Amino acid sequence: MAYDRRLASTWQLLLDSICTTMGALGTAGGSHPPIVLSSLPDLPYARDGRDGPAPLTFIQSPPGRTIAMAIGLRAARPHTPLVLVMNADSVTLGTNHLIHAARRNVGMTVLLLRSDLTQHEAPGTMDRAAWGVPARQQRAESPTRPLEWATALEAALVGRADIQRPDELAALLTRAVQTPGFSLIGVTADPSLPTGVLSRCEAPEYFAAYRTWAAPLRLADDAAAGTSAAAPPAHQPTRAVPRLELRIAGLGGQGVKLAGSVLSEAAGLHEGLWATQRGDYGSATRGGPSMVDVVIGSDPITYPNADHPDVLVLLTQAAAVRHAAGARSGAVVIADPGEVGTLPEGAVAVPIAVLARTHTGKPLAAGIVAAGCAAAATRGAIGLEALERGIAEQLPAALVAANVAACRAGHAATLELLQERVT
Amino acid sequence: MTRTCFLHGNEAAAEGALAAGCRFYAGYPITPSTEIAEILSTRLPELGGTFIQMEDEIASMAAVIGASLGGLKSATATSGPGFSLMQENLGFAVASEIPCVIINVQRVGPSTGLPTKAAQGDMMQARWGTHGDHPIIALTPSSVQEAWRLAVRAFELSETYRTPVLLMIDAIVAQLKEKVELPDAPVAVPRPLPTEPPDQYKPFAFLEGAVQPLAPFGGDYRYHVTGLLHDEHGFPTENPELVARWWTHMTSKIDAHLDDILEWEEHGLEDADVAVLSYGASARAAARAVELARERGLRAGWLKLLTVWPFPEARIRALAERVPRIVVPEMNLGQIRREVERLAAGRAQVQGVHRADGLAITPEQVLAAIAGS
Repeated sequence: MAYDRRLASTWQLLLDSICTTMGALGTAGGSHPPIVLSSLPDLPYARDGRDGPAPLTFIQSPPGRTIAMAIGLRAARPHTPLVLVMNADSVTLGTNHLIHAARRNVGMTVLLLRSDLTQHEAPGTMDRAAWGVPARQQRAESPTRPLEWATALEAALVGRADIQRPDELAALLTRAVQTPGFSLIGVTADPSLPTGVLSRCEAPEYFAAYRTWAAPLRLADDAAAGTSAAAPPAHQPTRAVPRLELRIAGLGGQGVKLAGSVLSEAAGLHEGLWATQRGDYGSATRGGPSMVDVVIGSDPITYPNADHPDVLVLLTQAAAVRHAAGARSGAVVIADPGEVGTLPEGAVAVPIAVLARTHTGKPLAAGIVAAGCAAAATRGAIGLEALERGIAEQLPAALVAANVAACRAGHAATLELLQERVT
Repeated sequence: MTRTCFLHGNEAAAEGALAAGCRFYAGYPITPSTEIAEILSTRLPELGGTFIQMEDEIASMAAVIGASLGGLKSATATSGPGFSLMQENLGFAVASEIPCVIINVQRVGPSTGLPTKAAQGDMMQARWGTHGDHPIIALTPSSVQEAWRLAVRAFELSETYRTPVLLMIDAIVAQLKEKVELPDAPVAVPRPLPTEPPDQYKPFAFLEGAVQPLAPFGGDYRYHVTGLLHDEHGFPTENPELVARWWTHMTSKIDAHLDDILEWEEHGLEDADVAVLSYGASARAAARAVELARERGLRAGWLKLLTVWPFPEARIRALAERVPRIVVPEMNLGQIRREVERLAAGRAQVQGVHRADGLAITPEQVLAAIAGS
């Protein structure tokens, strides 16, 4: 060494340890030199008696965020060693990241300065920057014990080294880098503390385990190119269908959302129309008010809400109270007389819940019956055949037959009542 | 070749990200963006990519930066509360010119706000959320098709200009399902790589109106990355001359390419007395209102922003010269309206249509403003 180690700064000793480690890794046939990450900008410049910054691949992260940044790098570069040089910010604002990286065993080596702040240790003994907790606070609070945390979290390797013995630090650092998973090395200046490896735990490195898990899921390139929700090509609109707003309103658990999906996809994918579907399903899955808007037409849909529905299906009294007044004049309003106590004026009464139970035995099928009712009021814009294809695509095969029957029943009942009205 | 699908906006944004070559996602689930994480958690492993649920949004953004530096196209998705937490590391990505895409599915704020209800209230946070002056690009889709296309575009812009790009979806578009046509083949353009040898590489070269390709970190190109203002090699500097050159580079890399970055659509403005300027879900109500206005013989047209930041200043100035009145519907209390007022500078009357109660702007509201009431 070209300088006197006894006079060297903490940074210089750390840098020496890292460079020694890089050399050791290089002779061991390592691929790329380690990436060094720190929130401390000083490290690369600690070159006593030498010019210019050290030849490190170096990231200076925002304070405390170093570990989280290293996680992304680890995913992108599975085999490049990551050495993090961190101070108190990793056990204050960065504690969350430290704990979860240790818990998950993400492959990186963290050198933690001032890891052993004790109630007896004066602040600032570690280095020139003299950061640390104010003395009064240090006395009043129980100290952080990050090495014990990492051991409890079963990190791959936890150890301690004395900054005044940089060769030992380098040896421990080299060993940590070669250990798959998360390693934490406390860097101390207190000669009374034990050094060396304090705990070990055999567990797969996080991303190595991820890759093993993901390998069988990998799609062939051809399949990967497509999208997850592929569907057969749509027919181009061959007929003019003016904008038509449909709304189905009921309770969560009645299959309202499913009804919207079946209707909109029947229109959009099988009738060659444009279609949108938008729901307000409330925050409760079951029991709260639930409604879905479907807007269809042969021109692209601008505003996707059915604020003034041309077709309105009401499954509950509450839905009738809330939505009946919004219907466009001349709208077809379909209501379940078993559920809606006071039928809106001119409403078509279809026993939707009864039909659902009859054909499927389940109240969830009310939505499917309602979809049939709504489609029957679209004057052929959404045909029964398209609706049935939609059901077949969206429901498990075992349920299709019963739901198609329920849908047909709603469709037929509505059509019959509408024809009666005309005649 | 295209295929027809029926997707919701979140699904389309996730698929768009994949089509653009996104292979790393770190995030923390939050309504109403969670479907994006859900879809990518399944899809990324199928494509050899990595999905990780982090401990919080701060960590998510940091991990996205790390992965992008390592050479992967990377993204995260969130909503207002998480977007607030991401601002710290978003600034790091801006300062160190690391490409990445942040999808913010906007809900009503401030704070926890109305978690399931839609808003467009983060437009100014998108512009100025992280501290300090900085360039930024933000896009706003108004349909599911646009959610897919602008997700792809967000990656292109991010990689081209080495900047974070914000995809500002509102919860209406995110939850809306509609028909989309998607290309069969992926559309990803690989990240450009430096051509000069490592010893001549300046990772942060102060080029005017251009950017240096980003070499994958940790490979043959060894360099420094820092959130401190830095020189062309990435070493911190406080030299005012270098800092001035840094600013020129940072602003000109965006400003010199507005023709490429700015995107908007307009309809019916040729003879219009009233222009309706909007974006996101509100632009759908605007288009419907203009249809209804025309049916009533009112001469109205619309302009829909697809790029919100940088703002299409020249176009808005020209519009204000042409039309006497500009109506600005948005699901906030006037964030973009104030930009339009600034550019109209009194030449056109600017009238906002605002709400922040979680409900969509209705065509009736916009129509009333068009009609002058």
